[in-house]
Amino acid sequence: MSEMTAEQIWTVQAGEKRSVGVIHIVTLALLIGIGFVVGAFGSISFPLGFGVNFFWTGIAVQQVGSIWFGMWGVLAGIIFPFFSNAVAGTHFDGSAAYIPANFVQAFLPAWAFRYFKADPRLKSGRDYLILFLAMIVSSAFGALWSPLVVLRSFGLLTTESVPLFIWGWFGGNVIAGLVFNFILLKALSAVVIRTTAFVKQWWA
Amino acid sequence: MNKTLLGYVPKESPIYLIHPFVKLYFLLVVSLFPMFITQPEANLVIMAVILLLMLWSRVDLRILRIYVPVAIAMGWIILLSYTVLGGTHPEFELLANVLGIKIYWERLRDGIVVYCRILPMIATMVFFLTTSRERDVIVAMRSIRIPFLVTYVFAMALRASGMVLEDFQIVRQAEQARGFDTTGKSLGYKIRKYVMYMIPLFALSLRRTEEFTNALVARGYAFTGEAAKVKRADYILTHYSFRLYDGILVALISILFIVILALRYGYNAFSLESSPLINWLYQILR
Repeated sequence: MSEMTAEQIWTVQAGEKRSVGVIHIVTLALLIGIGFVVGAFGSISFPLGFGVNFFWTGIAVQQVGSIWFGMWGVLAGIIFPFFSNAVAGTHFDGSAAYIPANFVQAFLPAWAFRYFKADPRLKSGRDYLILFLAMIVSSAFGALWSPLVVLRSFGLLTTESVPLFIWGWFGGNVIAGLVFNFILLKALSAVVIRTTAFVKQWWA
Repeated sequence: MNKTLLGYVPKESPIYLIHPFVKLYFLLVVSLFPMFITQPEANLVIMAVILLLMLWSRVDLRILRIYVPVAIAMGWIILLSYTVLGGTHPEFELLANVLGIKIYWERLRDGIVVYCRILPMIATMVFFLTTSRERDVIVAMRSIRIPFLVTYVFAMALRASGMVLEDFQIVRQAEQARGFDTTGKSLGYKIRKYVMYMIPLFALSLRRTEEFTNALVARGYAFTGEAAKVKRADYILTHYSFRLYDGILVALISILFIVILALRYGYNAFSLESSPLINWLYQILR
């Protein structure tokens, strides 16, 4: 069997039928479950406060999950921080206010891979670059949204301490992303793209 | 003993007399209280009450040990954030000037206020997690008619998180058996090598996805189409009944919330000016 190209990975072939199935619901649930555990590890081990961490391992589930499983990964990336933050004592209101940040952090890499037809197996420098840029831009948005919009409006931060939280969020996500995203995609994508759970478009 | 989301509680615990929905309502409403209370002592009282409730529920308070580093780290970060990183403010009252870093009374006070707001929020969450089982959360969700699909995904996610934790232990022990041990290594090394756990964890989860799906399909589960429209029997709800005292508790929590809002916005209660603790600290530090 010849190896699929990046174009073929994301393109629905003639005669190929794709629809939402039980496996996608199960994938969503399992991604929430794994995100809960992995995210809570970061939240408890390296806390900066209010759900912001110096090393947030949950970013791997958010970004790798959304690249593989499309909107199911994005949904999981939005939902599991409620639980992983809760274990570290962040109230649901705070986690709800982080939804836009978590959405962008999960959605942007998934969109970039689909739009630019990047290979999730990271076969070329271009694939690495697309992932890296998506990580940087999405984490930058999250880092600006959360301390500037959420924590400031809750009255939890002074103006002077905002940069600490911006860099904490950004660095915590990017470093964890650098450590995990590349290796996970490189190691497992070849298997995942052949499973029925893999999402070529957004939902199936 | 019953295994809860964060520990164990004796089967005879009085907390099981209370309907799971009441616990969920308590979590959602009581954790809002500190948002409307500025006085640190009032928030500390809320935290003390929650700790008493944990004792009453016969929760093993040793579980709180995992939260001590979190609470201390947050406390330091908030303190540093409000004092060392607090900037220069000539309009504020200077308490000390340590190596050029100006410590202002107003900044220190605000840091204490914020920290004392976070502590009861953490306590409320810990109370919920230590007294609720997975099925309690599901019952609470089904009690308020949350759709089956949402409840099912939620239940599967909770179950999956338990399995991921088990898988994590298995992977760690398997790697230790092969001579991989991070004990005594630097934090940077541990972080880099954490990926040794992540890849097997993801791989195991992917395999479980297939197993879960096959099991559900074999049992005729469907979340879309005609099969999904069949009315399902809520078997689990038959084990729980919402009694009069549950209704009274929900009403009491609601009334308490309304009273706090009325006192806060109608009578300017819980303000810093009337805080004995803040006034006492001010007398000491100035």
